[in-house]
Amino acid sequence: MSAHRWLSLACMLWVAFAAERASAQAQAKAPHGALAMSEQEKRLDKLLLGKSLGVPMRVVPSAWAATIPEDNALTPERVALGRKLFFDVRLSADGTVACATCHDVSRGFTDQRPVSEGIGGKLGRRNAPTVMNATFLTTQFWDGRAVLLEDQAKLPIVNPIEMGMPSGDAAVAKIAGDADYQKEFQAAYSRAPNYEDVGRAIAAFERTLVFLDAPFDRWADGDSKAMSADAVKGFALYQGKARCVTCHPINGANPIGSDNRFHNIGVSARHQDFESLAKRALAELGKGGDTQAAIDRLALETDMSELGRFTVTKRQSDIGAFKTEQVRNVALTAPYMHDGSMQTLWDVVDHYNRGGEANPYLDGGIEPLALSEAEINDVVAFLFALTDTRFAAQAAKIEAAQRARAKTIRPFRDNDLANRRKIPFETRIRGEKK
Amino acid sequence: MRVRVIRAGALLALSALAGFWLLRGTRSADAASARGSESAEVTLCDGETKVPLAADAPKTPEAGQKIADELMRKWREKNPDRDWEAEERTHHTIAPAADNSDLVGATQGGTYGEITARDVATWKTESERFVVAGSKVFHSGAELGSTIGVSCDMCHPDAANTHPETYPKYQVQLGRVVLLRDMINWCIEHPVRAQPLAADDPRMRALEAYIYAQRKGTPLNYGKR
Amino acid sequence: MKSVETKYLEARDSLFEGLSKLNRREFMKVAGAAAGAALAQGILPPHSFTPVRVANAATGGDEAFRFAYISDSHLYTKDVNDRFVRGLMRAVDDVNRMDPQPDFVLYGGDLAQLGRPEELETGAQILKDLKAPVRMMVGEHDWYFDLGEKWRSLFGADNYSFEHKGVHFVTLNSVVEADFWTAKGLTPAERMQTVAGLDNGSQSSFTVGDANRAWLAKDLEGVKDSTPLVVFSHSPLYKLYKKWNFWTDDAEEVQKILKRFDTVTVIHGHTHQLLTNRIGNISFHGMLSTAWPWPYAPQGLPEMTIQMSRPDPFNPNDGCGDGQVAVHADGMVDKIYDLWNRNPVTVSRTYMKSNGKEDRAPKPLLASY
Repeated sequence: MSAHRWLSLACMLWVAFAAERASAQAQAKAPHGALAMSEQEKRLDKLLLGKSLGVPMRVVPSAWAATIPEDNALTPERVALGRKLFFDVRLSADGTVACATCHDVSRGFTDQRPVSEGIGGKLGRRNAPTVMNATFLTTQFWDGRAVLLEDQAKLPIVNPIEMGMPSGDAAVAKIAGDADYQKEFQAAYSRAPNYEDVGRAIAAFERTLVFLDAPFDRWADGDSKAMSADAVKGFALYQGKARCVTCHPINGANPIGSDNRFHNIGVSARHQDFESLAKRALAELGKGGDTQAAIDRLALETDMSELGRFTVTKRQSDIGAFKTEQVRNVALTAPYMHDGSMQTLWDVVDHYNRGGEANPYLDGGIEPLALSEAEINDVVAFLFALTDTRFAAQAAKIEAAQRARAKTIRPFRDNDLANRRKIPFETRIRGEKK
Repeated sequence: MRVRVIRAGALLALSALAGFWLLRGTRSADAASARGSESAEVTLCDGETKVPLAADAPKTPEAGQKIADELMRKWREKNPDRDWEAEERTHHTIAPAADNSDLVGATQGGTYGEITARDVATWKTESERFVVAGSKVFHSGAELGSTIGVSCDMCHPDAANTHPETYPKYQVQLGRVVLLRDMINWCIEHPVRAQPLAADDPRMRALEAYIYAQRKGTPLNYGKR
Repeated sequence: MKSVETKYLEARDSLFEGLSKLNRREFMKVAGAAAGAALAQGILPPHSFTPVRVANAATGGDEAFRFAYISDSHLYTKDVNDRFVRGLMRAVDDVNRMDPQPDFVLYGGDLAQLGRPEELETGAQILKDLKAPVRMMVGEHDWYFDLGEKWRSLFGADNYSFEHKGVHFVTLNSVVEADFWTAKGLTPAERMQTVAGLDNGSQSSFTVGDANRAWLAKDLEGVKDSTPLVVFSHSPLYKLYKKWNFWTDDAEEVQKILKRFDTVTVIHGHTHQLLTNRIGNISFHGMLSTAWPWPYAPQGLPEMTIQMSRPDPFNPNDGCGDGQVAVHADGMVDKIYDLWNRNPVTVSRTYMKSNGKEDRAPKPLLASY
C-alpha cells in the first residue's frame, strides 16, 4: 500500500478509536450504578443553560421567596459551592458515594431504582425522591422528618448505610484541607468550612434545579396544541373523577402537585407485618413513660420504616402515612411510592383506581374510582405531559418502555375492586387471605 | 213584538235543551247511540281523563256532581304532584322571603313607582315557590339523579353547613376559585354520585335558591373557611 | 451500633433544637409541618392515640371492662350503595382488631336506611363477622317501614336488659312516634321516607312512650340505687333540637325514672357526632356513624359538648368512625370516639366528674358555623 493509503487507514482507525473512547466515556459509570460525575456535570451544564438565579418562570414570586430561608439567599458563590459538594464523593466513608449517586442528573435526579444503594452496596428501605423542584416541598423525606433542604442534605452523609460518615465534623474534616474549598466557603459564607454551611450550600444548589416547563405548562399558558387530546382529557379526570387533585393540586402557589400532607394510601399495608408493627407501636405508647426510649426500643428490634410519618409525630392518624410526593417529571422517577414498589404509572393509577389497599388507617379520601381503561390511559397521558421539555427525549423512551410493560403486566389492576363489586374490607372481616 | 218574544223564547228553550243534551252527552261518535241501553263516556277538558256514564244514570245535579268528582279524583291520581308546593311545605320549612309590605302604597307619582299589595304578594309567592322547588330537589336523591340513594339533606339537614355566604373561594380540591354552584356540582358528582348539572339547569338554580334562602340574614364573607 | 431509625430520630431531635432558634418567618413556614405541630402540642398529645389496654392505660387504672360500639350505618343493599356497606365493614374490621377483644359490641341503631328487609339482612350478615357478641338497638330507620316486624324476627325484642359484671344494662326503644301516617293515608314506604328525613317536619317527635316507660320502670324495680346503670337508647333521652329529632319528648319522665340511681350513663345514637351532656346524675354520650356525620344543631347544644372539628367533605370518611366505652368500677365511663383518619378523642370520666373542667378534649380545628 502507498503511504497515502496507510495514512488514511491510520486516520480512520484513530477516528474510530477516539469515537469509541468518547462514547465509552459518555456511558462511564460511577460506583453504585450512577453515571460518572464528570458526565453528569456536563449534562447539568446543558440543562441549566440560560437559567438565572431569579424567580423561575411561571412561579408566583411570593411562593418562591417562601422556599428560601433568610440565612441562605441564593448567590452564585453558594450555588457553585453546593454544586461542587453535590458531586463530591469524598463526603462518603469509602469515597464512592456522592449526593449525585442517588440523585443522578442522567436518571431524573434520582436513581430510578426501587430503593437506594449506599456504601458497601448496602440497600436502604426508601425510594430516593427527585431533587428537581424539591424546594417547593415544605418537608423532605417520605416521612417529613427534615424541614428544609438544608436539613435534608446533612442526613444522608452521616447515615451508616448511605454515605456512612461517622459525623458531620468528620465529613467536614475530609474536605476542609482542600484549599479550593477553603476559598469557596469563604466566598459563599465568609466562614471556614463547617457542616451547617455544607447543608446550606447544597440546598442553594438544589434550589436551582427547578424544572417546570412541561407541555402542560405551555398548554396552560394558552397553546392548545401543546398537550395531546388524551392528556387534556386526563387533566379533566385529574381534577374530577380520578380525584387526584385532592392531594396533588397544581396551582400557581404550589406548582408541583403535592399538598405537603401525609396520607396512608395502603402501600405500606402490602407488607404483611405492617399491622402487627402498628399494634406494637401503639402498645408501646400506651405504656406511658419515656416515649423516646419506647420508640427506640421498637426501632432497634424491628423495622419501623413502614409506619411512615408516625415515627415522627407519634399520632395514630399518621400510622402508615407517607408524604404526598410531587407529580412533576414523574416520567423520570420510576419506580414509584416510598418503597419503589410500582414500576409504571399505569400501576400507580391502578392502585388508586382500586381504592388503595384496605387497612385500618387507610385515608378516607382513598376510594375506588371506577375508571375505565380509556380513562386510566388518559390520566397517564396527562402525567407524562408533566415532564419538563428538556427531558423530552429521555421521557419518550421511558414512556414507550412503560407502555409496553403495561400492556401485559398490571399487578395492581383489579376491576372488581375499582367498580365496587368487591369491597376489600369484606375480605378482611371474612378472614380470607388476599 | 209578542211573536218575536215567543220565537226568541222558543229558540232559547230549544238551545237550553240542546245545551243540556250536549252537557250530558259526548262529542264522540257514540253520542247517537247514547240513548238506549248502551253506556257513554264523559271526558275531561284534558282530553284524556274519562269516566263511564251509564245510560240509566239519574239526570240530577247530585249525579252530575258525582261525575265531576270522579273525574277530579282520577286526574289527581294521574297528577300526584299537583299540590307539590303545599306538600313540600308540610315536610320542610323554608325561610320566608323578605317582607316588602312596607312598600305598599308608596308612590312618587310615576307609573312604575307605585307598589301595590298585589306586587308584594307576587314577589313573595314566586320567590318562595322557587325556593320550595329547590327544597324538593335538595331532599330527593331521585330528583338529583343519585345512583346511590343519597340526597343533599343527608349531610345538610335544612341546608345546614352549606355556607353559601363564603363563596367565591379558592377550593384546592377543585383546583380553582369556586362559586356555590361549583361546590354543589362537586357534591353531586362525588358524595351523591350523580351527573353534574349544567349551570343553568333549573334544578341547579333551584338548589342554589333554597340554599341561599335557608341562610337568610348571614352577612357575606367570601373566602371564609 | 444504633439502628437507622435511631440515628434518624437523633437527627430529628437536633433539628427540633435548631427549630427553636429559627427566626419568625422560618418558624411560620415550619409551623404547618408536623414538626412544628408536634412542638406546639408536645411530642405526645394526650388524645392522640387509643391505648391498647395495658395495666396503666392513660385513661385511668381501674377500668373494669370495655365494650365497643358501631352505629348508624344506614345501609342500602350493596348494589345500590357500596359506600355505606364499606363503612360498616370497616367498623367491623376495627372492632375485630381490638386487642384484647371487647366484652361485647353495641350496635347503636339505624342499621338499615329505608327499613327494607333486604337492608336489615345485609346488615345482619355483616355483623355476623364480628368476633365479639353483639347487642342490638333499634333506630327509626330500622322501624318505620314495617313497624319492627323484620327487626324483631332478626334481632328479638326492642326493649331488653341484661347484667354484665355488676352493671345493669337496659336497651330502650326510644324512637316511638305518634301516628302521623294513618290520617294521611301514607303507604309504608311513604311513612318510612318521611321518617328517614332528619329535617322532615311531618313526622312526630321521638318518645319512649307510655308502654316502654312502664316497661323500664318495671325492669328497674329490683335494681339497687347503687348499681351502675347504662342505658342504650337511639334518641338522646334529653332535648337538644326538636326539628331534627335530636330530642325525646318525654325525656323528663324518663329521667325521673332514672333519677334515684347513683350513676347512670346513656349511650345514644342518631346524632352522628361528638356529643356530651350531663343532667343531674346522668351522663349522656353520643355515638359516631359509620355512614356520614351530621352538622351541629343551630341551637340547644349542651354545654359539656366539645364539638368535633368540622368534617372535610373531600374526605368521605371524615367525621365517621366507631368507638369504645370503658366502664369503670364506679359505673362511670370513658367514652372513646375512634374517628377515622383522626386522632381518637376520649371524653373521660374525669371530665364528666369535674363537670368539664379537667381533662378536656382538644378544641375543634374548624368550628361549625
